[in-house]
Parts: sequence; C-alpha cells; structure tokens
Amino acid sequence: MSTTASPSGVTDAAMPRGVAVRAVRATKVYGKGATAVTALDDVTIDFERGAFTAIMGPSGSGKSTLMHALAGLDTLTSGEVWLGDRNLSRLSDKELTLVRRDRIGFVFQAFNLVPTLTAAENITLPIDLAGRQPEQAWVDTVVGAVSLGDRLGHRPSELSGGQQQRVAVARALANRPEVIFADEPTGNLDSRASAEVLAFLRRAVDEFGQTIVMVTHDPVSAGYASRVVFLADGRIVDEMPDPTAERVLDRMKRFGD
Amino acid sequence: MLAITFKNLRARKLRLLTTGLAVLIGVAFMAGTFVLTDTIQRTFDDLFAGVNAGVDVQVRQASNVEVDGFEARGRLDESVVAQVAAVDGVATAVGLVQGYTQITGKDGEALGNPGRGAPTFGMTWVDDPDLNPFEVVEGRAPQRPGEVVVDRGSAKKGDLAVGDTIALDTAKPIPPMKLVGIVRFGAADSPGGASVVGYTHADAQAYIGEPGKVDAIVVQSDGVPTDDALRDRILDALPDGLEARTGAEITEEDQNAIGEGLGFFSTFMLSFALVALFVGSFIIYNTFSILVAQRARELALLRAVGASRRQVVGAMLVEALVVGLIASSIGIVVGIGVSGLLKALLAVTGFDIPAGGTVLTPRTVIVSLIVGVSVTMLAALLPARRAARIAPVAALHDVGAEIADHTGRRVVIGAVVAALGTALGSYGLFGSPDNPTAFVGIGGAIMFIGVAILGPAIARPVAGLIGLPLPTVRGVSGTLARENALRNPRRTSATAAALMIGVALISFIAVFASSVKAAIEDIVGEDFTADFVVQSGTFGFGGLEPGIATKISGLPEVGAATGIRFGPARIGGDGEFVAAVEPVAYAEIVELEVLSGSMADLGVDGIAMSKDAIGKRDWKVGDAVPATFPETGETQLVLRAVYEAQEIAPGHLITTAAHDANYPDSFDSEIYVITADGVSADRARSAIEATLTDQSNADLVDRAGYAEAQASSVNPLLALVYVLLLLAVVIAVLGIANTLALSIHERTRELGLLRAVGMTRPQLRSSVRWESMIIAVFGTTMGLAIGIAFAWAMVTSLADEGFEAFKVPGGLLVVVAVIATVCGVLASLLPAYRAARLDVLAAIATT
Repeated sequence: MSTTASPSGVTDAAMPRGVAVRAVRATKVYGKGATAVTALDDVTIDFERGAFTAIMGPSGSGKSTLMHALAGLDTLTSGEVWLGDRNLSRLSDKELTLVRRDRIGFVFQAFNLVPTLTAAENITLPIDLAGRQPEQAWVDTVVGAVSLGDRLGHRPSELSGGQQQRVAVARALANRPEVIFADEPTGNLDSRASAEVLAFLRRAVDEFGQTIVMVTHDPVSAGYASRVVFLADGRIVDEMPDPTAERVLDRMKRFGD
Repeated sequence: MLAITFKNLRARKLRLLTTGLAVLIGVAFMAGTFVLTDTIQRTFDDLFAGVNAGVDVQVRQASNVEVDGFEARGRLDESVVAQVAAVDGVATAVGLVQGYTQITGKDGEALGNPGRGAPTFGMTWVDDPDLNPFEVVEGRAPQRPGEVVVDRGSAKKGDLAVGDTIALDTAKPIPPMKLVGIVRFGAADSPGGASVVGYTHADAQAYIGEPGKVDAIVVQSDGVPTDDALRDRILDALPDGLEARTGAEITEEDQNAIGEGLGFFSTFMLSFALVALFVGSFIIYNTFSILVAQRARELALLRAVGASRRQVVGAMLVEALVVGLIASSIGIVVGIGVSGLLKALLAVTGFDIPAGGTVLTPRTVIVSLIVGVSVTMLAALLPARRAARIAPVAALHDVGAEIADHTGRRVVIGAVVAALGTALGSYGLFGSPDNPTAFVGIGGAIMFIGVAILGPAIARPVAGLIGLPLPTVRGVSGTLARENALRNPRRTSATAAALMIGVALISFIAVFASSVKAAIEDIVGEDFTADFVVQSGTFGFGGLEPGIATKISGLPEVGAATGIRFGPARIGGDGEFVAAVEPVAYAEIVELEVLSGSMADLGVDGIAMSKDAIGKRDWKVGDAVPATFPETGETQLVLRAVYEAQEIAPGHLITTAAHDANYPDSFDSEIYVITADGVSADRARSAIEATLTDQSNADLVDRAGYAEAQASSVNPLLALVYVLLLLAVVIAVLGIANTLALSIHERTRELGLLRAVGMTRPQLRSSVRWESMIIAVFGTTMGLAIGIAFAWAMVTSLADEGFEAFKVPGGLLVVVAVIATVCGVLASLLPAYRAARLDVLAAIATT
C-alpha cells in the first residue's frame, strides 16, 4: 500500500509489479437514504503476487462483498478495483465475464461444479468456454495434484464433498489465473476433507506460485494463509503476517468486545 | 390448505399464465368454432325465414331423390297453378321456375363457383312483393322477354350496371340478356353470397326450365284460414303425386338441411379444437409435474406438519381448477375473435361463408368451460397424486434426483397402450363402426398417450443421438445443451410429445395426400386417354350446355368425344349420382375393364355398373334394376354391363340419351376429347376452343393439366387442415418454452456458477437455444416417424382400391425441419433471455 493509483492511469507504473490485485477506496453502499447500509467503507488494499491471503471478519463485516468486488462479480458504489493493469470498475458485463474466465479462478463454498459435466470436463470448463486448447502438460500436473485417480470421468454427484472441492480448486488452477478467489472453500466439509483442500491450496501457492485470496471465518483455515486481513464494519481493522490458528482465534475473540 | 393454494397461485403468476395459455388457446378455438357455426346457422335461419316470409303455402312434387344431402324433385304442370288459385282462401298463387344460371362478369369471367360455395341460380321474377323476398333497388323489374335483373352482390363483383347487355350460362342456349334492374335481398346485397338472376316467367321456362312446367307454386292466403287449414284444403284439390307445405314447414326443412351440413363442418373444426386441447393437456401435465418436483420440500413440510394426502391432492387440484377456470373464461372471450379469424381463414382457402352478427349461446359458454376445466384438472391429477406420495421425511433432505424409473415396465405399458390405440383407430377406419370418427379420434389419442409413456425410455438414446454433434460444433455450450436435454428424460419426452402430436398429424396427412395424388396421376396417366378435357368446375348442378359436346364430336379434328353429366337417382333403393356418357366414345377414352356384357348395348333403358357399386346384390347382366328419377319417377333399367371398379370411372353409367329421357335439364360436367389421327394438338385445341366462346365457365385443359387438376382438387382443404394443425404446434412451442423456463429456474445456481467462471451471455443463450432445439427436433422426429408410418399403413391397406403409390413428399421433410428449427428457436427466446439476465451473485447465493 505504498502508492495510490491515479484514476486514469492504466499502466504498470500505477501498480507495483509485485501486486496481483488491488482495491482503491472501494466503497459499496446497499440501498438508499435512511435505509442505506455501507458494506464496504473506503477500503484500500493490495494483494501480492504469489501470496495466500485470508480475509476474515465477523458476519456482516463486508469480507464477502470485498471479495466479490475484487473478483469482478459485483460492482462498487465508488472506488476502483485493479487486476494487473486492468481497472475492473470500468468494464462492461461482457468484459468482466471474459476477465473472470481468463484471468481469475473461483472456489465457492458449495455447488462449485456443473452437475452435468464430469470432473475432467469441470476442470477444463473455463478453457473450453474460451474455446482454447488446454495446455495438456499443465492440466495433467494439476489433475495429478488433485489425486482423483479414476474418478475423473465421474459426475459431481458421484464424488465426495472433499473431492468436489478439490476438483473446484483444480478448475481454478487449470487456466493459470492471475488470482484465485476462494469463498469459504471448506465451509461445508469435515475437518479431514478441509485439511486436504487447504493443503492443496497451500501447495498451489508454494509449488506453482499461485496468488490466492480466501474469505473464511475459520481460524484453522486462516492458519494456512501467509497473511490474514481482518475486516469489521466494512473497514480493514488489522492484518497479521504468517498467521497461526491460535493467534487468529485470539484476534477474532477481540471482535466480540 | 386453501389459503396456501391461493398464496401459491399468486406467487407464480407468470408460470400459471403460460400453463393457462395452453388451455386458453384450445378453449378459444373450441368456443370460436361454436360461435362461428352458431353465427352461420343463425344467418341461414334468417335467410330462409326471409325467403319464405310471405309464402303461406308451397306446392311441389311429393317424391324426391336424395343423394348425399342433395335433394332433387321433379317439376309440375303449370296447369296446377290455376287449380290452386281456385281453392277457397287462396289470394294469390304463382308458379315459380328455378334453375342454374351463371353470370359472366364484365371481364368475361364466370362469377362464383357452384361446385364450392354459394349457389349460382336463376328464377322467375315474381311481381307480388309479398311472395318475393327480393326488391328492386335500381332500375326496374324484368317485363319483356330478354330482360333480367341481378343481385347487387353480383353486379358489384362483375362490374355490371343497368343498361348493360350481359352474358349468362344456362342449360339451354341463351342469347345475351339486357340488365334492367339491380335487386337486393332484404338488407343484404345477395342471399348468403349466392348469385341470382331474375327472369320473366316465359324466359325462365325457356332458358332454365321447361315450357308449361314450374318447379313450385307459392301461395298467399287471403288471411281467413290458418296456414295449416289452407294447406289441407289445397292438398285436397291437388292431383296425385303433389304435396303442399306451409311456409313455416318449408323454412324448417331448409334450416334443418343447413344444420346438417353445418354439423359436419362443426365436427370437422371441433376435432382441431380437441387436438389443441389434447396437446395442451400434455403441457399442463408437464408444468404441474415440474412444479411438484420443485415444491417437493414444501409439500413434504406440509405433510410433516400434518396435512393428509387428500389435502395435498386437493390443494393441487384446486390450483388446477382455478387455472382452468380463468383460462377457459378468457378463452371464451378470445374465441369470439377466433370465430372471425376462422371465417377469414375459410374465405382465404376458398370457402366463402356468409355470416351476420356474432352469436354467443349459453351452450358455447357452458361446454367450453366444462371442457377447459376438465382437461386442466385431468392433466393435473397424475402430478397431484405424485405430490401426495412425497414422504414427509423428504422435507429434511435436499430435493433428490428424479424418482428411479422402471424402464422395463414403462416400455411394456407404453407399447401395450400404443397398440391398443392403434387397434381402436384401425377399427374406426376399416371396421366400419357406427361412429368411425370417434373411434379414430379416441384411438389416435390413446396411441399418442402410449407413445408418450414410451417417451422417457427412448428420450435418452434418441435425444442423445440428436445432440451428438453439438459438443463438436458448439463447444461447451453444446455439451451443456445436450446434457441438460438428457438430464430429465421424462420432462424432455413429455415436452417433446406435445410437438410430436402436431407434427405426426401434419406429416400423416401430407404423406397420405401426396400418395393419393400420385395414385390419381398414375390412374389418369394409365387408364385415361383423353387428349383434352373441357372442365366446368361444377358437378350435378349446372355446367356446360349439352350442345357443346355434340359440336365437339362433330369436329373433323376430333377422333372421339363424350360429355359426362351427373344426375341424382335412386338405384335399388340407394341415392346415387348416375353418370351419363356416350358409351362408345367413353369406352375409347376410359379403359374400362368390362367383366360381363357390353358397353355398346346400353341403349335408352340400360345401365352399366361397377362390381363395387353392385356390392352384395346378386344382379347379373340382363337383370332388371329398379331406379327412381326425380322427374320421371320409378322405372326399371336393364343391367347391360358390369366392369371392374376404377378410380377414374363412376360406379353407375347410363347413356346420354337415357339421361335426357329422365332429366329435364342436361349439363355436361366435363367433356372428354381424343384428337383425330394426324391432327396436331395445337390445331385440335384451337378447333375446340372455337366451340367454347359462349361458355364462360368452360376451361380447356390437356391430359397433364387434367391429372394435375384432379390431383390438386383437395389442395384448398389440405391447406386449411395444415393451418389448423399448426395451432397444435404453436401450443407445443409454448410448452417447450414453459418447460425450459421452469428448468432454468431450477438451475439458477448452476447458471450463476457458469457465469462466474466465465460463460458469456451469448454462450448461455446459445446453450439454452440448443437445448430447446434438441427437444424440438426430438419431438419432430418422433412425430415424423409416427406420421409416415401410419400414412404408409393407410396407403398399403388401400392398395386393393387402386392406390399403389406411397410417396413421401420431399418438400414435407424440408417444411418439418423448418418447423422444428423455428419452434426450437422461438421456444428458447424468452427462457434464454431470462437465463442470460440472471444476477450472477444472487444466482450463486440461491439455495
């Protein structure tokens, strides 16, 4: 957070080379007049390349809103979101769709996979949507890392919850996105399956240099990240490098005060 | 429970609107048919009441010959008029002559076609206004020989004005006549679209009747006796063989005759309304099924908190009742508009029907409501029962996959039901039951239901095959379209079934008609050797003046020629149209396969019959055949020849001389001509044309043209049938759109996910469109297969009646492919648009 991007500048200079995605004075207000609710209040933040950042905060803190805005799923009331050299705040629905397809990976809490497609087809879905040929070597690497074995040809309904989430991560990786956004990726899993998925995300960062931004309310999950950003009432209130589950839990407890 | 039902109805207005639309269209069609037939009936009732308004008693021949609803009576001696006039209580008695007269317009074209549509007739102009429903509105009444009046409708159509000299066609040669007046029928320009020419009494007898004869005597009472009493008094004074009827009796007879004809028309149209409702019922069934699936949790919750199965079924049925009631009510209102459209449609296809003010009877309202509501509730019954079977525990689970399907059982039941329907329909077609239409209709419906039961079992493989190229051609959108279409075979198949019915009926009729046409062309090509045919376009009533055939026969360019004329007669008790020809020339032109006797021996008292016309009777050559002619009464004809039944040859043949001996009026319907050896076609044509200059309704065609005209005579009717069946297709399109919309609603989250990971709106729309196409092509393919298979069976079973050609028209395949494509695209428009507009975040958040 060393510089502030000039609103018109679409250059690398405006964005330090090490930053994958950034929000500049991001504000999101729902409703109007007396009933207006401010979900994001003037948030400015950078996410570095190759880092695994967790966004935490109590319910209603604006963490999901922030992630949706960063991922081009939602628009801001004011402020800007930059992905690499592109100002997402200025893109049309069509351009945003292409950005999501080609430059962003997603892992949602549940219902990550298209039920009519096989695991393999789900993994290459964004690439197929773009009408491109997948980089087979890379896809093989990713698929190998998912360790699904012979279940690649199965439909999601035939996979366990943990397997489904790992397929979702593989899909997010397959397209070599600039950043992967994960929204409570283990929210529906038991602790063992959660550990598998989180370890897989961690490996993606360590081995492939992937940038990951993960929203979670679970201190254990946050413990896999390299940095934790705390949100409350739509503002960034704290951040913690190299977190552990215990320290995160301690910090979270203080929100109750 | 009721409160919940109504809350549900309100919450899903749009869904119910499309469901209701399927009922609405069917009911509107039905109500429209009722309104139109009632309106036509009322118009004719008024017309006949008007015609007979001033007539207290009518006198005519007692005996009549009736053939296919067409009634013929002989004429009576004019001397009877004086006898009737002398009866106490008679104020006026006037002899009337009526007969065929076709008017030629200023452009030389004949006005009207009595073969199809309103009659073209001429009559004695009666000066007594009480006995004449017409009144002069321009010029004056005919007073001297050679003067006529025409109705204002014809005057307008033919661009005729008072003072013009006009050309007419009648049974006898008639000089050009002077138009002295234009008349009106009450407030109408013409009675029901008929063309009318009024002659002086002497001219009428000379050109359209016989000297010394009248067709009927109309009587006006002096007001003292009642009509019934006067009728009885007149009857006492009449010679044997004549009868008297009061004006009211005659009006009733005429009205009943029209009612009978309208009955056929009404049944014809109603059958299309029923097809529409049948197709609609599939859509209602499907919509309610999907709603039940989507509300499984809610219904299970109701059951968990104590609602009984009956209450669940009841709630669903009340929902159906409300939908049916609202849709049917609106349908009736729309039906009034539809009646106007139907009338316009009939006019376009060549059936011009007069109709006055719109008539909406209580019957129309009650029947339409009952049928509309019953169809809706019946279609909802199965889904409602399925809803009741949802276990209360399902409330706690996610809505699972479709209930496992017993494919084996389904195939057996479907096949049995389809076979049963086919058997019932075949019995209707070939078993000659009392009510064949009902058997064919119900059998057909059952057969379609059977195929619909089979549907889900074949939907996966067939739709899968149809969608096979999509992943390659359309990438992920194509893969998703195919997978989604296969996802729920029951739904896909029920949706496609609606389209299947419409397409099956259209292709059945198209293939059958083209086979029949091919057969007719074959027959005309093989067994008919005339080089030219003079056509009049009429049959039985009016036609070509008989002198023309004689003239053509005498031409040096002509080798052989015969006119063919038809007259009604009772042969051995059955009413028939008996054809009359010059037997020697006829045998040269039509290759009759004479089994016994000889055509050359017919004479004035002989008849030749086909084996089929003789039927089960044991008449042999030389036997006496009892015959009754309208004019000459009972007589005996001698059977002189028996021939094999042939499509080109009528079942009963007598000589022209025999016809002239028994019928006062002679018209040739057609004249068959073979050119003399060594005469070029062009020379023969111009020689024949020279004989036709005074006959505006004559049309000279060569053999190919004649074959074409014969084969295409049913074209206007076919066109009408196609248009009416397209209605069923329109309803099916609504059904596909409805199913897609409901399916897409179910897939909200999935669509949100797809959009989130980068599916563009055009890609999403394309995916929905292709899914729609698969369903449409699936329905069309099944329909086409059924239609062609049944047409083939039909044609094959008629092989022994001379139909040997089975021909699938190539154009049909193209048309059907276009229908499928257009349906698929149209049906997907709104659902695809709505799917693409989904808010991605909201969609992902949907549970």
